[in-house]
Amino acid sequence: MKKVQFKSKYTQYIFLAPTLIIISIFLYLPIVQTFRDAFTTQDAFGFGRFFAGWDNFKFVLSDPSYLVALKFTFIYIFVITVISCSLGLLLAVQANKVIHGKSAYKTLLIWPYAIAPAVVGVTAQYFFSERFGILYALFNSLWGFDWTANIFDAYIYLFIAGSWKQISANFIFFLAGLQTIQKSVIEASLIDCRSSLRRFWTITFPLLMPTTFFLVIINITYGFFDTFGIIDTTTIGAPSGETKTLVYKAYIDGFRGLDLGAAGAQSIIMMLLVLTITIIQFRYIERRIHYN
Amino acid sequence: MKFIRTKAVALFLLFFSISPSFAKTEIHWWYGNSGFLGDVIIEIAKRFNESQDDIVVIPTGKGSYEDNLSATIAAYRAGDHPHYTQVYDAGAAIMVAQVKNGVVIGFEEMGEKYGIDVNADNYIPQVKNFYADADGKMIGVPFNSSTCIMYANMDILKKVGVDVPTTYEEFEEIAQKIKDAGYIPLVQSHDPWIWTENFFSRHNLLMTDGNNGFDDVPTKTLFSETPEFITHWTKVKEWHDKGWYAYKGRGWGDNQAPFNAGEAAFWFGSSGSFGGIKDLPINFTTNQIPYWSSITGGKAYPTFIGGAANWILNGHTEEEYAALAKFIKFMGSPEMDLYYHNTTGYTVVTKGGGQLAETINFYRTSPYHKTAPEQLNLEGATIPGGYRAGNWPQIREVIYENFPKILTGELSVEEAMKRTDEGASKLLAQFAKTL
Repeated sequence: MKKVQFKSKYTQYIFLAPTLIIISIFLYLPIVQTFRDAFTTQDAFGFGRFFAGWDNFKFVLSDPSYLVALKFTFIYIFVITVISCSLGLLLAVQANKVIHGKSAYKTLLIWPYAIAPAVVGVTAQYFFSERFGILYALFNSLWGFDWTANIFDAYIYLFIAGSWKQISANFIFFLAGLQTIQKSVIEASLIDCRSSLRRFWTITFPLLMPTTFFLVIINITYGFFDTFGIIDTTTIGAPSGETKTLVYKAYIDGFRGLDLGAAGAQSIIMMLLVLTITIIQFRYIERRIHYN
Repeated sequence: MKFIRTKAVALFLLFFSISPSFAKTEIHWWYGNSGFLGDVIIEIAKRFNESQDDIVVIPTGKGSYEDNLSATIAAYRAGDHPHYTQVYDAGAAIMVAQVKNGVVIGFEEMGEKYGIDVNADNYIPQVKNFYADADGKMIGVPFNSSTCIMYANMDILKKVGVDVPTTYEEFEEIAQKIKDAGYIPLVQSHDPWIWTENFFSRHNLLMTDGNNGFDDVPTKTLFSETPEFITHWTKVKEWHDKGWYAYKGRGWGDNQAPFNAGEAAFWFGSSGSFGGIKDLPINFTTNQIPYWSSITGGKAYPTFIGGAANWILNGHTEEEYAALAKFIKFMGSPEMDLYYHNTTGYTVVTKGGGQLAETINFYRTSPYHKTAPEQLNLEGATIPGGYRAGNWPQIREVIYENFPKILTGELSVEEAMKRTDEGASKLLAQFAKTL
């Protein structure tokens, strides 16, 4: 095999430069700054700055509302992942079977994915407003739904809003996953087994595992980092701070409270959490996945 | 030939229509109001720009008060900050603390240097004290100053056959009648501002140690140590259970909505809300916020102002500050003060504006505007006219995390107050470290 190589040793760096510069400015530099902030005490304008050691971390971890946010983040991630993965999979399998108007179904199901989280929140507001929300009225007549006073109701509000968008994301990837499964495998299974449900669980689903694994990680990352828009436009933590996620709490402390030290410490804790979870997943779960 | 001449004339005109704008001094003013109030700010800048030819004030809306404060700070850190920025009541301690760091130029200092007649005594006392430093020197330039007042739906009161209460005791007497008639007796829009900070001012009680932070850097809030405050929230819980008070979450507008829709008899909001609701098809009056006559012995005390002030940021040219001084002078004129008072319902901030209102008999035609200045000008308070406590925006979050739990019964009043005090103490300590 013939190797293609650059003549000069430096040419490749020129090609890499644009990406490297962008990544350094928008990724590495902020990370360095976050670390610096997390170990510093300073006022809002950056004065009165001194090295604080672990003070900010101690401050954050002793804050009762931080632990509430931690709990809610995990609940949110778990519920959203389960709901949106299962519904996304169901829709993808059904859409894959459709023969007429396939692309119309696909397009309609993918649409919500293109919507920004904040817009999802505003849309959800229309459904859950006490004054004109259809779902508010429906749930309220069923069991006295009131998300401003009841934690469970506030959860429902956010779960519906959050999973609505995520279903689309999961749907696309599952659909793409389904289409990569070789026709011959499916046809062979058709001869061996009559039950379509059994065929799905024994042939299709295992072959979709790489996609599922990927989506679980994507959903966890979403739950950790991408919930700000949706919460800020819906509950703002209602009834009393129970529906704040970690990233929302970091925003409140950093940009509303102007305490960059505490916000920096929270970012680092969050990073460590995500890192740990991802490592566990790759180490213990990925081994069992069969890539074809 | 004719063609060339037209071209030359066009070029000539173009040149002269552009060139004056190069010579103009640009002043950037960032603000944190939106909707109707944002429009009024744009209108003020427009009026100033039309009144003279040398200076252009460019107002830029950054969203909410909180958004504007964080945008200002980010811009300052990047060295790209405006000359003039609007920062709200809860951010006052943060801004006053920045004078020593050279971020903020004090109003009085600016006045001395650029010949604005500041004269602190020209401002109504509650306004003057709120944005001043420990020595009483004015730092922020007073702008939109409101206070919490009570809006009353007169149609409902007439139907029920009751009068507007001046005390909470009187409210308790009529609340059940209003409820029986099928209305919500009371809604209010801001737990921390109306029923915490201004509960203390209205009853002449200290809210933090260190004399509300005016004498010493405060280390704790006095919520759980103030029996009157505990009594008040015990009553609020009682009212909530009886259906006399409805809580619609922490959204300002969500709590105001029942009043706007004619479903609630009383709403506690800002005097600055007046401009936004004056055209609604409800027949309402503005009234002073009630107080517990049992606590004050029948005396009413002034509330704190809310709203925001404008702050002068350091780091621009002398020429630009001279221009800004002219704009500040323009905005502080009695005419502009009264214009803003009239359009928005925010109170007059200068005595000159107040006198002008008297001279032209302004309150005869607009009696509703009188409530806030009257409430703010009440005399006899022994506590300072504000509070100087750092990290206050976060302390408000702690209040929002604990007080609603009183209403749901998850926490007892005492426990909620204790937890709030604990959270606040930590935040105050965190702020004190940076001083």
